[in-house]
Amino acid sequence: MKNQIASVQADALSRIGGIADMKGLEEARVLILGKKGTLTQLQQGMRNVPKEEKPAVGALLNEARTAITAALEDRKLALQQALDAAAVAGADFTMPGATLPMGGLHPISIVREEAVRILRRMGFTLSDGPEIEDEWHCFDALNTPDDHPARNEKDTFYFDSGKLLRTQTSTVQARTMEKQAPPVRIICPGSAFRRDAIDATHLSAFNQIEGLYVDKNVSVGDLKGTLEYFLKALFGAETAVRFRPHFFPFTEPSFEIDVLLQAAGQAPRWIEIAGCGMVNPAVFENIDKETGKQLYSGCTGFAFGIGLERLAMIRWGIRDIRLLIENDVRFLAQFQ
Amino acid sequence: MNISLNWLSSYIDLQGLGTQEMADMLTFAGIEVEGIQERGVTTELVVVAQVVEKTPVEGSDHLNVCMVDAGEGSLRQIVCGAQNYKVGDKVPCALPGAVLPGGWEIKEGKLRGVDSRGMLCSASELGLPDKEHGLWILPQEYTIGTPVRSFVETDTIFELEITPNRPDLLSHWGMARELAGITGRTLKADPAEAPTATIETQPAGDAITLSAPDICPLYTATRISGVKIGPSPEWLANRLVSIGLRPINNVVDITNYCLFELGHPLHAFDAAKLTGGLNIRRAAEGESFTSLMEEEYSLKADDVVISDASGAALALGGVMGGLESGVTETTTDILLESAWFNRSNIRFTSRRLGLGSDSSYRFERGTSPWNVLRAAARATQLILECCGGTAGPVLVGGQAPCLVPEENAPTATVLEQGTQAKIYYALDQVKLDWKELDVMTNASLPHMEGARILRHLGLRDVDGKGTWDCPPWRLDLKRSCDLLEEMVRVYGIDNIPATNTAIFVEESSHDRANDYRMGLARKLAGAGFWEVQTFKLIAAESIDPTIAGVENALPIKPLMEGDVIRVSLPISEDHSTLRPSLAPGLLAVAARNINQGMEVLRFFEMGRVFRNTGGGKGKDIENEVLGIFMAGRLTPASWACTKPAEVHFEHLRAVLDTLVPKADIALVPSRQSRPAAALGADIQINNQACGYVARLALQKCRDLGLPLECYYAELDLRKLQQVATAPFKAAELPQFPGSGRDATLDVPASLTHAEVVKAIQAAKQKLLVSYALKDVFCDPSGEKLPADRKAVTYTFLYRDAKKTLTAQEVDAAHKQVLDTLTAKINNLSFR
Repeated sequence: MKNQIASVQADALSRIGGIADMKGLEEARVLILGKKGTLTQLQQGMRNVPKEEKPAVGALLNEARTAITAALEDRKLALQQALDAAAVAGADFTMPGATLPMGGLHPISIVREEAVRILRRMGFTLSDGPEIEDEWHCFDALNTPDDHPARNEKDTFYFDSGKLLRTQTSTVQARTMEKQAPPVRIICPGSAFRRDAIDATHLSAFNQIEGLYVDKNVSVGDLKGTLEYFLKALFGAETAVRFRPHFFPFTEPSFEIDVLLQAAGQAPRWIEIAGCGMVNPAVFENIDKETGKQLYSGCTGFAFGIGLERLAMIRWGIRDIRLLIENDVRFLAQFQ
Repeated sequence: MNISLNWLSSYIDLQGLGTQEMADMLTFAGIEVEGIQERGVTTELVVVAQVVEKTPVEGSDHLNVCMVDAGEGSLRQIVCGAQNYKVGDKVPCALPGAVLPGGWEIKEGKLRGVDSRGMLCSASELGLPDKEHGLWILPQEYTIGTPVRSFVETDTIFELEITPNRPDLLSHWGMARELAGITGRTLKADPAEAPTATIETQPAGDAITLSAPDICPLYTATRISGVKIGPSPEWLANRLVSIGLRPINNVVDITNYCLFELGHPLHAFDAAKLTGGLNIRRAAEGESFTSLMEEEYSLKADDVVISDASGAALALGGVMGGLESGVTETTTDILLESAWFNRSNIRFTSRRLGLGSDSSYRFERGTSPWNVLRAAARATQLILECCGGTAGPVLVGGQAPCLVPEENAPTATVLEQGTQAKIYYALDQVKLDWKELDVMTNASLPHMEGARILRHLGLRDVDGKGTWDCPPWRLDLKRSCDLLEEMVRVYGIDNIPATNTAIFVEESSHDRANDYRMGLARKLAGAGFWEVQTFKLIAAESIDPTIAGVENALPIKPLMEGDVIRVSLPISEDHSTLRPSLAPGLLAVAARNINQGMEVLRFFEMGRVFRNTGGGKGKDIENEVLGIFMAGRLTPASWACTKPAEVHFEHLRAVLDTLVPKADIALVPSRQSRPAAALGADIQINNQACGYVARLALQKCRDLGLPLECYYAELDLRKLQQVATAPFKAAELPQFPGSGRDATLDVPASLTHAEVVKAIQAAKQKLLVSYALKDVFCDPSGEKLPADRKAVTYTFLYRDAKKTLTAQEVDAAHKQVLDTLTAKINNLSFR
């Protein structure tokens, strides 16, 4: 019996050593340790072993089973490691990927959101108003003379109802002040419309961000500090900003703002980026007259407007404004 | 407007000022410099040279190789492409090293392999007006080797954009006055002052009748007899040429010269062509007028014309002279008009007729009545000097309009011009509150400095208590804030320290809407959709109800006749109508991109749509909506998946589910009938109508260049936000496991999912926590299943919140559900 055990054990270990795959391993396990396996059959022979030899034979059988089981485990581990190694061997990491549908935000949304984020951080809150406007909010309230060219139906889209498509987001200044007592600190991103033929630098519908801050004692210094901060946040802390005197009916004094920017391979150039100014007192008077409340007399404030298409064009060196409305994915995909 | 530096220098001392300094000075005075042209050459290296030999360059049809004598002792070889010269001509020659206007440096080089050591120049290459095409052929008497700069005057031309509030800057004298005011440089003599002080004026009497005094309240006419019409003296012609005008004859040139010198338009009639006195009247409706450009115009009653006893319209007041009454070579007596016209009328006329002139440009921006006599006197002086003749007195019709507010008129300072007929001009008076200046500048601008600035600009402190008289040329100074502007502008915003006051503001509903929309946009971008921005003005014909459910524009309500809003005067039919839906724009985007070979067509747009609520008689409303378009493949093809599946309706539905995952979304057949070709349904979210979905009509899609199934959804963003941002409490996770059971229903193919759901819900089984459609099987061939049947597999999950269910309990609950299905659905069997 002892010899038989030794022989089965030796056979088993030698067989296991030669196994090449998981299937062979499982076959060997059944063949040796299964219900009819060679070692199991020997174990069943214990019945016939004389009583005094049983402890010794039993111990031998247990040793054999432990050794065989361990050998099977070792072999299994070795085989698994070989399989794992084979699984990554020869993988070509230079292969292109499979594809997922790509998407992204429109460049105008990207610049708008960036500007809005900066301005909200500076304590401006969003406001809004209709795009189909009346003359009062678009022109009268904003101190536009009756014979101003913008009121002409060759420059502005009118409707048969007498209403018009707002020519500037400044309408929201009047809309907000009508509804709200000072202080007012708002921005309004939105569409505006002018009756321009569409070409490489003009759209008849475009996007602006309007800003307005009204309170007691708002100064030109505040206007300057606010817009310098905003533009440096937008274009980089080192960006030089300058204010050029200009004219708008609804602000006085008025300024155009330039930033000094450098395109690749070119000398830095002053580029006009926004218009701004101190709210013309006539605007406050118009609002107070319309509401019948004297909320805005004695207030001062500043307003500014910035074109989003222009911002995007400057930022990314876009030469033709029409690319922004054509929505060609080859164009859109560059901004993601 | 073009300003010549040479011309300007005759009124102000600009010594030592570089071009760029000058440009900066103008810029910071609020005058936009749009361009700078350097005229002439400053370099010694452009000299007079004579062409000695000229032979064609081999293989070129226009190049010649020339040997030229530039006074260097030996001949110089230069290749030249011009055609207008011959051997013996003297021409300007730029030698290597010369820098021409525009920064162009001349170098030695080769043209067609032939050495070229310099350049023969045209006038324009030297920054001068071209007198002929090609090289500038110089007079033979010029000495070879002489630098061209010794006989060519250099000049710098500034192209300026003057803001509409500053018509006083639309002349050389006006610009000089402004520059002197802001820099303190010396202003030379006012060219109009002496002639105005000495000119005789007389009441016009019958010679001038003002029939439209609201448009033209002041009209003067000066008769100058015995003039000799001819070319202008060279200095005058040169000044006009330098700013881009073409000299015509001495009288016409002088009227133009005065306009660009003083800013006031003038007109000269041939006195022989006038009959009797002048009548300045409104045009008759439909009256015709032929301009000196020989164009005919039909007039209206808001136009003003200058006519005479014959009744004919001789000139369109303030805009342009007529063909018949102008000065010609045979004219001997002229009548010189200087008048004041109401700017609104001139603007109206000029714009309506599309007829603009240097005169109308100034009148419509506003001219000062104070300049009327000054311009007449100055022009008369120049005409007598240059054209001879004798001048009568200035005949004055009417009086200068009072531009000062009525309440200020009695205390206004009044200027007086003329002799027998006086012209009076009341100055604007402004009460300045220095405290306002302190608020505006944080008290950084000293009052003394402010007062100095105002005085330099021509204002006068009347009483030392803040009352200021404004100069007669400044029509824009009316109120205290106008004076503040002047002080800040001239003092310079750079000298006012930046401050940064801010206040705490409350978040508004617009802030929340913006945040929600941006989150949604990023979610859609992450799901493979491109955000687009399309035009809000679209073609009326693109609003086609058979394309999308556009007839049911949001808020869900059929579009009636007149609900679509059209602009009165579109630029083109393609951009004539405000979009009632984003669908037409998104379809156009898809069509554009499929043409570029895009296989995955997923786009979205957020923006306003517009409609009237009552056939054009109701309110115009604007709604913020989200439009989603899907067509083509699910992903782009790749080696890993060579033929990705096509988009179907369920994919759009999946996108909707991700937008508001917690909400109950139902697609219900539209109450309005939809054209049969388009499949469509209204979207209800939590039982509220929120938008619509559609599979677009296939034929229409093919017509638009989209030969595939196109899916579209439009949702009301405000409602979406309400649902998506409603407050909620997080649910706890279940403590006990649930048990699943599947059931396959063999049902008629026409049975809808909604009907099954309704039957499942009718079971009211408390242990049933969820169920889902797992599989749908049809066999159109009828082999495995009759063609009119389908097998739908649902999976059901049962759970008790308080204990683990036994198999028997689950089976019992499941049986109850299946029994209910059997009872509620006809013709059902289980497989």
